[in-house]
Amino acid sequence: MTMSKRTVRVATCTALLTAVAACGTGGSGSSNSGGITTGPGIDSNAKTITIGIESPLSGPVAVIGKPLTEGNEAYFKHVNDNGGVNGWKINFIEKDDKYDPQTHVQLYNQLLPQIAMLGQSLGSPTTAAIRPLADSAGIVVGAAAQSSAFVNDKVMAVIGTPYAIDMANGLDYVVNQTGHSSAKIALFFQNDDYGADGVKGYNAAKTAFHFNDVGQVSYNATDTEFTAQAQQLKSLKADYVFVTATPVPAATLVGTAAALGYFPHWVFQGPAWSEYLMTADGTSTGAKSKLFPVLAGLAGGSTMVLGFTAGWGDTSVPGMSQFLADHDKYFPNQAPDGYYEFGYAQAQMEVAVLKKAIESNDLSRQGILNAKLNLGPVDFGGIIPSLTYTPQLGPADRQTDIAQVDPTSPGFLKIVKPYFESSAAMSLSL
Amino acid sequence: MIAQAARPTQGRLADRRFWLRGALVIVVLVVGLGLPFFLGAFWLSTTDFILIAAIGALGLNVLTGYTGQVSLGHAFFLGVGAYTAAFLGDHNVNAAIWIPAAGVVAGLVGLLVGPTALRLRGLYLAIVTIGLVFLGTHLFVNLPAITGGPAGRAIAQPQWGPADFGGTGVTVLGISIDRNGLYYYLALLLLALSMWFVHNLMRTRAGRAMQAVRDREVAAALVGVNLARTKLAAFVVSSFLAGICGAVYGAFLFHVEPGTWNLLLSIQFVAIIIVGGIGTVWGALLGSVFISGLPAILNNYSDSIPFLQHSAGGGGLDVGDATDLVYGILIVLFLVAEPRGLIGLVARIARSIPQRRRIATASIAVSPVAEE
Amino acid sequence: MTTFVQLLFNGAALGCVYALIALGFTAIHRASNVINFAQGAFLLLGAYLVSTAAVDRNLPFLVAAVFGVAAMVVIGIVFQMLVLRRVQGQAVFTVVMITIGLNIIIVALVSAIFGSNERTNGVGDPWGTSSLQAGGVVFLWVKIWAVIVTAAVLVGFFLFDRYSRYGLATRATAIDEEAAMAAGIPVRRVNAIAWGLAGGLATIAGIFLSGAPSLLDLGISNIALIAFPAIIIGGLNSPIGAVVGGLVIGLVYEFFDGYSSNLPWLGHNFYAVAPYVVMILVLLIKPYGLFGQRPVERV
Repeated sequence: MTMSKRTVRVATCTALLTAVAACGTGGSGSSNSGGITTGPGIDSNAKTITIGIESPLSGPVAVIGKPLTEGNEAYFKHVNDNGGVNGWKINFIEKDDKYDPQTHVQLYNQLLPQIAMLGQSLGSPTTAAIRPLADSAGIVVGAAAQSSAFVNDKVMAVIGTPYAIDMANGLDYVVNQTGHSSAKIALFFQNDDYGADGVKGYNAAKTAFHFNDVGQVSYNATDTEFTAQAQQLKSLKADYVFVTATPVPAATLVGTAAALGYFPHWVFQGPAWSEYLMTADGTSTGAKSKLFPVLAGLAGGSTMVLGFTAGWGDTSVPGMSQFLADHDKYFPNQAPDGYYEFGYAQAQMEVAVLKKAIESNDLSRQGILNAKLNLGPVDFGGIIPSLTYTPQLGPADRQTDIAQVDPTSPGFLKIVKPYFESSAAMSLSL
Repeated sequence: MIAQAARPTQGRLADRRFWLRGALVIVVLVVGLGLPFFLGAFWLSTTDFILIAAIGALGLNVLTGYTGQVSLGHAFFLGVGAYTAAFLGDHNVNAAIWIPAAGVVAGLVGLLVGPTALRLRGLYLAIVTIGLVFLGTHLFVNLPAITGGPAGRAIAQPQWGPADFGGTGVTVLGISIDRNGLYYYLALLLLALSMWFVHNLMRTRAGRAMQAVRDREVAAALVGVNLARTKLAAFVVSSFLAGICGAVYGAFLFHVEPGTWNLLLSIQFVAIIIVGGIGTVWGALLGSVFISGLPAILNNYSDSIPFLQHSAGGGGLDVGDATDLVYGILIVLFLVAEPRGLIGLVARIARSIPQRRRIATASIAVSPVAEE
Repeated sequence: MTTFVQLLFNGAALGCVYALIALGFTAIHRASNVINFAQGAFLLLGAYLVSTAAVDRNLPFLVAAVFGVAAMVVIGIVFQMLVLRRVQGQAVFTVVMITIGLNIIIVALVSAIFGSNERTNGVGDPWGTSSLQAGGVVFLWVKIWAVIVTAAVLVGFFLFDRYSRYGLATRATAIDEEAAMAAGIPVRRVNAIAWGLAGGLATIAGIFLSGAPSLLDLGISNIALIAFPAIIIGGLNSPIGAVVGGLVIGLVYEFFDGYSSNLPWLGHNFYAVAPYVVMILVLLIKPYGLFGQRPVERV
């Protein structure tokens, strides 16, 4: 190869690369068109707003990522099919991060120039890896992570109640509301940051109202054997076991305990619950699982679930009929699922933020961030409790729904104490 | 090339190959330094991960490729480096100190565990070093004062004069370099230094001893190589580079937690050097491009591939599953076709080019594949 | 005392499962000198196949189990014949890397085909959470059967190893592959059989790991990692070592788990690393495992 040919080739490559780079970074500044300030991800001619979604759509955590993303999509589609947000259509780009922080960072870099808002960033380790990036870009992030670390960050739009507060509320309910003030209580937790939040809430509640703590038992996320833990809880004679876990370990623990003839009241932290624990396909018509009778409390004890989404199909909730209609229209195959509700509510919050930004004539990133910070109260039609975003930050919501596993309720959950907020939860600083 | 170096200088200047080589070096330099200006944010951040991983892979190549001792404990040393960086950074130590310090601490830990581990060989060593990864994770979870416990901790960002690695980047003479760009240059510099170091190390007495241990341990011992000390030296160098890699990797991710330093990460490094080419300086980089870059390429172009699912509710194969599938299949096919790795492929191509065109590729020599 | 007996039984049952996995590792290592990093994926795929057959297709459990084991034997053999045969004689770690690639492929396939939702009915085993109780100790049927089946499989394996032509051929190959080949031993077929065995053994282990009260999900493939110390403790080439190693690991795991509250200074969840610690201690004393032999050096 002669030098001149090489030079030509290098020059061509350079030109191509520059062109690619130009496309990639195009439109990152804010500009003003038609009386509204725009920024990245905003097309004022087509009147579209582009939102990015980074979620684990494959791998083990897809159990959460898929329904949650479908919930996002359902509400965005609902808005688009009903005239958009003040005439603006929402365009969303979904990326599968496999719950890997490194992939999450790469995809964030890929999405950033094209989006006005990161509509979903699922998980603590993943969101932690982009948090300072999002801070300096000033882009609002719908953090689907109830870890208490994110509620004090200005760009993080967290809906729902942090795990630690859920835990404190659940304990308050058991100890002070049901009259079991001397009940023996134990904690079973996953030894990671999620579990640490559960422990934080548990200990805060213990300080606040001195319940009878008989012990704390931990496990590793990769464990599959829980006989020793079940045995330990049994010998502690705990009446109530709070479970900060994910569905498979939680269910294995409950099953193992049942096999040992131990039937306490189980109190599941939200992520420990899955309707797939009840039937093969998560619906009421599916084949019943072996754990069905145990979880339903038919053999003794009971199972409670701490969460913040409304009971699926509970028509006393004003927004429920619309929610169900959207579900049947867009994702009829999705089984009743709390993460789907969460995703739907998260999209509601984001649409409310965008609406406020449009009304303030500012769809730049700064404009959207201002809209989020000064959003004030948002109503979700009861799908989740209404919340308030203010420049003072902090948890937007401190309420917990306490549900009991019930074979006949939709989604197998019956709310026994709707939207409850304990004194311990109110004083818990995060 | 040895013959070439022995020629008188006048001869060299007249030699067309000499000029071609010079031109190649300049092109590599220009492309290397200019890359951040051509790449979009996605590709630049991907390149950052590639370069950072290559530093660690180079370390593993010293131990596995040059000395023939396979370790699956590399992730542990990355973790040690990252937590050292986090700890020192939080105590207001400058990054110019905590980056090398991360390497030194990891190297010292290597010096501590090396004598025990290196009594074993082959697959025994590989599995014992897996134990190191599990023990390491246990320690990282249970030493919250240093590691932040299960939730992990943030790593302070390098801050040198106007160059802010944490957020806005830097503007020099009207040219602005963002965070991804800054990390690119940092990783490139560290990688170049590491490559230079390893390249030279392998030409010293100690380096030749390492290769002798790999090629035939008994023979090496017979000619007077101190086996234990040579293996330990390789282990320490390997851990040192792993520590530096971990510090920069952690800093680039802002936040590290015990789960990051798992067996999968170790396996990824072994994959890098095997796919790249074992026992070569360039193999680490080539392998890193393949192993760290391929998933990114697949992910990036997934939108234009049919049968893939582009939204959560749609039908088709999930992008993540498809990426893994293609990634796994390529590793298998590739190693079946070219067991010596990418560097073997390069050498094969070089051989197929007629003699006078070989200069560019011949500088990448292939050393023998390590026996167990 | 009740707790002790309970932990002893659970540990032994768990140890049996590890022994099955470890035996799969050993079978392959004896025949081809590599460690199969896809053993966890074999276990995962095997368990999912059984689960699909038993739970979704409503086949009788025993039929489903036999189908799953047979399918994995075939998959093991096919992989050896299609892929590994082509890299015979290459550096050990190149081959190991190929098994890592296989692991990635299988896990992605299982995730793509079966989805990521947990399968609450596991492998559809008939035992449920039923148990035999004696003196306050609970003997779960699934665990009792794990012990019985493992014992039967081990007897079968050792008979095969001791008295069949292929067993003899395998042992010869393990001692010296080249000499075996020169003596006319069909080393390739020995290799293929070893991979088939590993696939089948992994599936049996998978069945007991995901039998009630456990569930089945993608995470089950990680179990194979805990079996690594078992093969090292026993020595890579020793089937007896694999069994002993598996039992040791199971007991160590279960006892450290059960008595963790008495050992708070070891940190949270020490049981998860205890097998590795035991492995390191054993190697300090016997660098090639309890039943392993130092390879002869030839110059």
